[in-house]
Amino acid sequence: MIVPLTTTKIGEQVRVSCLNCTSEDTCRLQELGCVEGATGTVVSNQKNIILQVGECRLAITHPLAMNILVEPVSKKK
Amino acid sequence: MSNQTINVQKELLRQPSTIALVGNPNTGKSTIFNALTGLRQKIANYPGITVERKMGTTIINGVLHKIIDLPGAYSLNHKKADERISYETLIGSYDHEEKPDLLLMVVDASNLERNLFLASQVMDLQIPMLMVLTMSDIADERGIRIQSQQLSNVWGVPVISINARSKQCDVQIKQALVEQGVATPKPFQWNPSKPLRQAVERLDKEWLSEHTQLPERARPIEALRLLAEGSLEDSFYQYSEEGKAKKLIEELQNTLEAQGENPTAAEVVQRYRFIGDSSEGSVTKEQRDEQTWTDRLDNVLTHRVAGPVIFVLVLLVMFQSIFSWATPFMDMIDMLFIEFGAFVGSSLPAGLLNSLLVDGIIAGLGGVVIFLPQIIFLFLFIYFLEGTGYMARAAFVMDGFMTKVGLHGRSVVPLMSGFACAIPGIMATRTIENWRDRLITIMILPFMACSARLPVYAVMIAAFVPDKRVIGFLTLQGLVFFGLYLFGIVMAVGSAAVMKRIFPTGKPTPFLMELPPYKWPNVSSVVIQSLERGKIFVTEAGKIIVAISIILWVLASFPTYEPTASDLADMDANGQTSEQMISTLQLNQSYAGTFGQWIEPAIEPLGFDWKIGIGLLTSFAAREVMVGTLNTIYSIEETEEQLGLIERLRSETDPETGLPKYTLATALSLMIFFAIAMQCMSTLAIVKRETNSWKWPLVMFGYMTVLAYFSAWITYEWANTFLLG
Repeated sequence: MIVPLTTTKIGEQVRVSCLNCTSEDTCRLQELGCVEGATGTVVSNQKNIILQVGECRLAITHPLAMNILVEPVSKKK
Repeated sequence: MSNQTINVQKELLRQPSTIALVGNPNTGKSTIFNALTGLRQKIANYPGITVERKMGTTIINGVLHKIIDLPGAYSLNHKKADERISYETLIGSYDHEEKPDLLLMVVDASNLERNLFLASQVMDLQIPMLMVLTMSDIADERGIRIQSQQLSNVWGVPVISINARSKQCDVQIKQALVEQGVATPKPFQWNPSKPLRQAVERLDKEWLSEHTQLPERARPIEALRLLAEGSLEDSFYQYSEEGKAKKLIEELQNTLEAQGENPTAAEVVQRYRFIGDSSEGSVTKEQRDEQTWTDRLDNVLTHRVAGPVIFVLVLLVMFQSIFSWATPFMDMIDMLFIEFGAFVGSSLPAGLLNSLLVDGIIAGLGGVVIFLPQIIFLFLFIYFLEGTGYMARAAFVMDGFMTKVGLHGRSVVPLMSGFACAIPGIMATRTIENWRDRLITIMILPFMACSARLPVYAVMIAAFVPDKRVIGFLTLQGLVFFGLYLFGIVMAVGSAAVMKRIFPTGKPTPFLMELPPYKWPNVSSVVIQSLERGKIFVTEAGKIIVAISIILWVLASFPTYEPTASDLADMDANGQTSEQMISTLQLNQSYAGTFGQWIEPAIEPLGFDWKIGIGLLTSFAAREVMVGTLNTIYSIEETEEQLGLIERLRSETDPETGLPKYTLATALSLMIFFAIAMQCMSTLAIVKRETNSWKWPLVMFGYMTVLAYFSAWITYEWANTFLLG
């Protein structure tokens, strides 16, 4: 099941499956380690998202997060 | 992962060399730079763009070396101005920066994979380097253990681990450079796939080597960028035969796709894959499920409701502290300049030179330097908050609101700084990546009611707004005062919304930011950077202020006035002391006075007379000069400065009608004018410096003055009709 990052819950583990944004934003995300296939944890989801990918904590605004499609891996808590 | 022999070079450091610090943002690069160079550093802008250039010197084993701190970058794909500088400098093609002989590749140990991405790109350029692992304390906290020796074996360069916050970090680095030396890394250690490698080779051979000036070692990196982005648009080289290149790139991209590779992502994915695999032997992570400090703090500080509330509280504490802590220092500076002026005035024979030095230069310089404590305190706060990692959160929680009004989350802190003084606020806009967002923030920043407007507001409100209670403890005077601050914010937000439509928008940059872990900032680094800011303020703005002070002094002092015998008799008859009267008459017929009377018809619709006109002219040097000028014009005893001026303003009558000359309408009009008009030379000077062009300060001066004029006019007419009519 692939869902936009905005629909995930706090503590949920996800795998990034598709970056559906402009190539510039895709590049910025990738350089920060948010590459397709990377796994991360949703730290905060209050419209804007904080996603922990590896050791990197990314603050992502809602419009950008809508275009990051992820696959929930397993639910914590 | 095969280990490789490291080809160590130590001889490089025996002669003076240029050492560049390269790394991601927030890795402790600046802290290392500050530790290595101490106060032997120079910060300026790169010519033509507003990216900061930092350089300094350090002595290693008796040899003086140059240190340059390259702008922090996440990759060498030079999309942003600062990344481009790092890239061009590294390949030695940037005219304004020296080509580095060796590198300190700064890598954040707590975020190793992301940092090694840039490192692996830099390594492809084959410049001798020492890899410096920082933030090992945070890595420890998170249960990350890195085997430096293992890492060194994988990448073929010496690796040291330091604590950038320890006082000894410069000693550690120097010792490592002497004992371990540096090594030239091999290119393409990240094992690109065969199709990608072939595409790079073809692009290099068939086009880059023939048609560009790129050095050989830089061509593969450029080829990878072209394959990923597919466009030559933002290339900084004048490529010849562009059409041929486009065709070739397209063909190679198609080939890659046919071989199952995604041209946009291939390089990034393959580098990350190699980094992940290679880290297996050198990095161990303990699985920790409990919440870290950063998690707990983020739960509160980035909370949708609590986050903005905490942010406003932080600002309140910050500005209150700036005002109260800076006051004693400002008083001290004021005293020093007065004493110094008096000393110079009494030591030199009376005359032109004396007046120029005391009334022109010393007074003018004093007017600028007095703001130094506020500026240093503000920057101490800003750098401190930045060092803790909180600034990124503040920008994040405020982004939603700021985007709505046409700005960016990162505009928040500079705008708030503007309440103290627009100058540090404008300097603080450097944290905004997007040029358009930064420009709009700079252009609206002077609307924030800075401390220099306070004296003008205070005098006008005290003189003309009735002191009556409205509701509870709120008085009408207090409300008008608050209203003027609010008015500034509304003007700023409104102008931003308009400018958003005017300026070439491009695509808005969605907010995407790395949130660094919370940590205790390095105090000496915070202090050094704040002092450096203070130095820049005094030297850069000071030069211009001195020049204008001299001009204003000339305009107000010439042609000189010699009282006639009948003038003196008149003064005696009116009971006025002759010195006060002479200075008033001197001003009346000086160039400034003549000019004031000449512009009177233009400012009359706003309710201003020529005396206020001179004030407007002189307060261009700095807003608070307005009160001083009115004081001079009314020749009031200094001991009763404010009370005296307020009473004089109230009692000033029109000689023809006998009615009061200044009314509530005049006061409101003047305050609205001051709230909007660009009456600050130092701000214009700093805008020139930050935008590297006279265009923007001129636009700023123009639009704000026009807006101020019409707003004051409307206010005057409205007040006359509805409040006094």
